[in-house]
Amino acid sequence: MNSATTLQHLLHGSPSERATAAEYLAQQGPEAAYAASELTAACSDTESVSDWAVAALEELGPPPSSAIDSLVSLAQSEKPLTVYWAVTLLGRAGPDALAHQQVLVTLLQYSQDSAVQEKAAWSLGRMQATSSEATQALQQAAQSPESRLSRVAAKSLQQTQT
Amino acid sequence: MARKKSKFSLLMWLIFSGISGGGITGYLKPNIPIIGPLIAKFTDKGQNLAAGGGNLLSESANGLLSNQASGSYGATAVTGRLASARQPSNGQQQGAVQPTTAAGSQGNGNLLIASFNIQVLGQSKISKPGMKELLAHVIRQFDLVAIQEVRAKADNVIPDLVTTVNSNGSRYNFVIGPRLGRSNSKEQYTYVFNTNTVEHDPSSVGTVNDPKDLLHREPFVTRFRARTQSPAQAFTFWMVNIHTDPDEVPEEVDALADVFQVMQKARADEDDVILLGDLNASEKQLGRLGKLPGMQWTVSGVTTNTRKNKAYDNILFQGQATREYTGRWGVYDLERNLGLSREQALQVSDHLPVWAEFRVWEAPPPTSPVGRPALYN
Repeated sequence: MNSATTLQHLLHGSPSERATAAEYLAQQGPEAAYAASELTAACSDTESVSDWAVAALEELGPPPSSAIDSLVSLAQSEKPLTVYWAVTLLGRAGPDALAHQQVLVTLLQYSQDSAVQEKAAWSLGRMQATSSEATQALQQAAQSPESRLSRVAAKSLQQTQT
Repeated sequence: MARKKSKFSLLMWLIFSGISGGGITGYLKPNIPIIGPLIAKFTDKGQNLAAGGGNLLSESANGLLSNQASGSYGATAVTGRLASARQPSNGQQQGAVQPTTAAGSQGNGNLLIASFNIQVLGQSKISKPGMKELLAHVIRQFDLVAIQEVRAKADNVIPDLVTTVNSNGSRYNFVIGPRLGRSNSKEQYTYVFNTNTVEHDPSSVGTVNDPKDLLHREPFVTRFRARTQSPAQAFTFWMVNIHTDPDEVPEEVDALADVFQVMQKARADEDDVILLGDLNASEKQLGRLGKLPGMQWTVSGVTTNTRKNKAYDNILFQGQATREYTGRWGVYDLERNLGLSREQALQVSDHLPVWAEFRVWEAPPPTSPVGRPALYN
């Protein structure tokens, strides 16, 4: 399956085509990075698609810089799993996504989903976010009673200060 | 998206109380130390629940064997070991020793223990024509398989698969852990094992407690025993099944060092801990886990994924304690063993099974130079 067909099926195919495309991408490892944003969106598809999309994203590694803008949009989705993975991939993008740190700051401060908050804290560290808003948000999160959030935020603060 | 731990009762997160003792009343031996951040404080509630034996298994779906509230191994009497020619097929990436024609556990009296990350093992995978049969064939190569990445909302996937494994008269069973993960996408661990050669202790099944949430998918642990005609001398061991988060590998591998040490001390009468799975770390990336005194891993110098470019699956144990290891290990190459193309093999999984061989008899404890039993770290 070539990449254009894969994306076409993933975005617009029938349920079985979408699942097959997601499965194919999950088997490609980092070579599926070209589909980073499409897979992130597919996380909120039906279970048969979503399971493969998530599997693909776990193995994907960092997204290409061309996907960053769409990932930023997806980070503002209403769909929790899509947000989670968009935030994760932005973190994996590291400093390439630094221009969009404010989106993650907002999620860290206001998301109702603790897993998203933790990922946002993690991603801010990975992208070495040093804006005053990011630093303040991380400092606040480092004081959280939630041990994982506070730990991740504290580590991210260390990363942004090195 | 709900926080992952909200779905599990305190019972489950005190599960370590269910794996620390022998039998109904042995769960909370007061001399079990609290070690590291991964062991919860034992509470009265945990103690009472643990004493119920079978209650500990309420959130993990056991297989065909009934829940053994007495804490004994297995459900059937030992009637001797079958003499089968089953063995891992040739043509696999090898460790130190090539498999011989009688290399199967039932041929030479040894156990073959494997780890297999079966990518997205769920309803859609096992519904593919021939897939269940193929997976069943792979599973039958081993006495005990630790499987990662069971992803299914329904509970029929592993029972259906094991039914297929047993369709040739085999007698495999399984134990399966809870659904784990920080997002809504969750995975389960399972052990599938040949009840003719291995039995599990139903009173020693659980998920490692992780109050500081250091691990994305906390290890699923179960104690097993080689099935022999002399159970008192049979090899017993903990299995610790793990699939780390690829985004937090150093932190998780570090936490697994604590897990390993906790498991070494979980029972005063059990010195063998086999930690295995998809660590998302090569042997050079094992961090503090790899630096534990005497730590040994089987997979070295070969790849373990279907695309043959990563070596993230491994089987680890403390070499001085687990001298039951024979030194034979391997990676089961799906393409070469099953005559599959790369594309077909990837449909099975992006990982290959890794395996190691262990003797069925418990090795005597090593002695100090003056002949007294040595203490393990």
